[in-house]
Amino acid sequence: MSRESDWLREARISRAQFFRMMGGLAVAAAAPAALSACSTQQNTGATAGAGGDAATALKFIGVADQKAPMDELVAAYRKVKPGVTITTSFAPTDQVQTSVRTQLGAGNAPDLHVVYPGNGSAMSMTQIAQAGLLADLSAQAWTTTIPSGFKPAFQLDGKTYMFSAGSSVIGAIYNKKVFEEAGVGELPTTWSEFLAACEKIKKSGKPPIALGAQTPWVTQLITYALVPSTVYAKDPAFDDKQLAGQATFAGSGWRQAMEMYLELHKRGYFNDNPNGTTFEQQTSMVATGKAGMAIQVSAVLPDFRKAAAGDAADLSMFPVPGADDAAQVWIPAGVVVGLGASAKSGNLAEATAFIDFLGRQESINAWAKAIAAIPLTQDSGSTIDPAVESFLPFTKDRAVPFMDQRWPNAEVQPTHFAVIQELLAGKSTIDEALKKMDEAYQK
Amino acid sequence: MSVTTRPAAAAEAVPAAGPRRRWRRGGALSPPWLFAAPALFVYAVVVLYPSIAGVLYAFTDWSGIGGEMSFVGLANFRAMLDDEQALGSIANTLLLTVAILVVQNGVGLLLALGVHARIKSKALLRVIFFAPVVVSPVMIAFLWKYIYNPAPDAGLNGLLAVFGLPGRDWLGDPSLALWSIAGMVIWQNAGYSMVIFLAGLEGVPAELHEAAMIDGAGPFQRFRYVTWPLLAPALTINLMLSTIGGLKLFDQVFAATNGGPGYATETLSTVLYKQAFVYGDFGYSTAVALVLALFVAAVSFVQISYLRSREVAQ
Repeated sequence: MSRESDWLREARISRAQFFRMMGGLAVAAAAPAALSACSTQQNTGATAGAGGDAATALKFIGVADQKAPMDELVAAYRKVKPGVTITTSFAPTDQVQTSVRTQLGAGNAPDLHVVYPGNGSAMSMTQIAQAGLLADLSAQAWTTTIPSGFKPAFQLDGKTYMFSAGSSVIGAIYNKKVFEEAGVGELPTTWSEFLAACEKIKKSGKPPIALGAQTPWVTQLITYALVPSTVYAKDPAFDDKQLAGQATFAGSGWRQAMEMYLELHKRGYFNDNPNGTTFEQQTSMVATGKAGMAIQVSAVLPDFRKAAAGDAADLSMFPVPGADDAAQVWIPAGVVVGLGASAKSGNLAEATAFIDFLGRQESINAWAKAIAAIPLTQDSGSTIDPAVESFLPFTKDRAVPFMDQRWPNAEVQPTHFAVIQELLAGKSTIDEALKKMDEAYQK
Repeated sequence: MSVTTRPAAAAEAVPAAGPRRRWRRGGALSPPWLFAAPALFVYAVVVLYPSIAGVLYAFTDWSGIGGEMSFVGLANFRAMLDDEQALGSIANTLLLTVAILVVQNGVGLLLALGVHARIKSKALLRVIFFAPVVVSPVMIAFLWKYIYNPAPDAGLNGLLAVFGLPGRDWLGDPSLALWSIAGMVIWQNAGYSMVIFLAGLEGVPAELHEAAMIDGAGPFQRFRYVTWPLLAPALTINLMLSTIGGLKLFDQVFAATNGGPGYATETLSTVLYKQAFVYGDFGYSTAVALVLALFVAAVSFVQISYLRSREVAQ
């Protein structure tokens, strides 16, 4: 969208000024007052009474992935601070994106809400912090222990605006039984071995890879699994170069990753009609042994285990080898979706105090355990899900954050979803797809 | 019975009260306006004010959050001309609207004629055909996602397999997805069109049919020359409602395909939603919304003027 600047553009105005400029609409003057009177709710929590604490009610809105850890930690917090009640609500990503963004825009956001790490989506830390709507958490002790590689996910201009309990990885969630029945003994560590394993599973009569590409975010995971090896292993500073305008999707290993993605499709390694298949169907296919594996983020392991019911032990994960030299295989390891405190909250002190509680090592451990993540910082009490252990050797110097976390706007990621669906449908070419992504990146 | 007699009594009372009225008929202080005032006030506050305020955002670059914005003149509207996604969505929206308009009203009319006939179970059938209308569109979309499951043995494909027909990837094939959505919408709303046509059919006087029969008209001729012209008002309402519904279509598309695969089922409504809440470009989204609103208003105006003139002519 080209926005030619004219003299008006120079005149930045605040939202308050904007409203004043519409002062002619006098009849409506009562409306905002009446509406905000309905929405403001402060200090109305029940007096839980211990120790004469003034009762405070905090509101949190998060995504469905956060329900298990938040339920556990909110209950734990009630024991630490009985005077504070936290009401939580959860919804799928796109719904939260709509409702919380609208509330942020209207100035009545919940005290605590979901924040996506880094940049690149409408609810990401950078986009909301830039608008001045996230509270600065930099004074909290846990922020000093954020590993340096993860800092861009948590921080903008050196200040921390988001809490997250750790990182998750993208790899293949596979069904051991299906692999055994197809005669795949050793897990693949190179691309050729990966293709060979797929071939064996295909010959055994099952789709090697379940792909639920009708669910938009699922489309990106295979590219994300391959790009660390095809782009970042060769050029770890790719993001910086791309931001500086010295590198493009079309002129990089992204092309190779897309070719590999389509090679899997052409060889018939995906289920039929991936564009008509959803994440839930993909999950069920692998969990019930109807497909070999799904390339997925480790945070959804609990969903797969639930779908597998009694056979959850058959499920595990391995890194997708995106290169033919095992030493050149890199993996995607990104900070998991987190939360922040609204800078406009009427209970800012209590809201940030809860985040400080989440930053304690035992809280980090509990959160990470609930979603099979690798804890942000670790101590003797930390547990790491056995399924992601094979990723640990990579996390030190052969891992890169999820690509969108460094993208400059919220349009690149949905463009990526759409072009993958078009490629799978045979309605586009890799050239066109990468061109569209480059165009979205430059907006 | 008392219900039918009361209006007549009231009508007699009004002229008697006439000389004592201090207001002129239709004046701002007349009782009709006073009674409507509370509703008009609420309407102004929750509908008019936000709509007018929203129009102004179309000329800014507001992100949807944060306090800063600047006026960009007509840049948002110019950008729309180069936006493949927005232009593609206009084509999709029009195709969907035409498909829904024609098929939904065709099916609705056939259903109405069917259940208007003297058949035993017509009351039950009316309820069954109308039932989908009362279900939330999102729920319908989720139900149809099961029906449109691409697996060869599931849903619609399973049914086709019984007859030896090959299955399709109903929502995953870009050349088919739009029509699959149209099918789903028509299935839901045909009952609504049926009810309106049915009301029109009930209003066709039996004497006219009798007269036509005496003159030797067959069933088709009676439909063509008696029923059809008298159904004109019902047709006007139906065509207008389905046009507006088609142009504004959002819920079913969003729940079934989210505009995908690729951009194959993107409508103006899903584009404006994505611009505002996914891409964080509220100003541009409002511009798209404004274009949609003006477009719907223009189409409805033309359509209703034409159809009304047709009613008068007949």
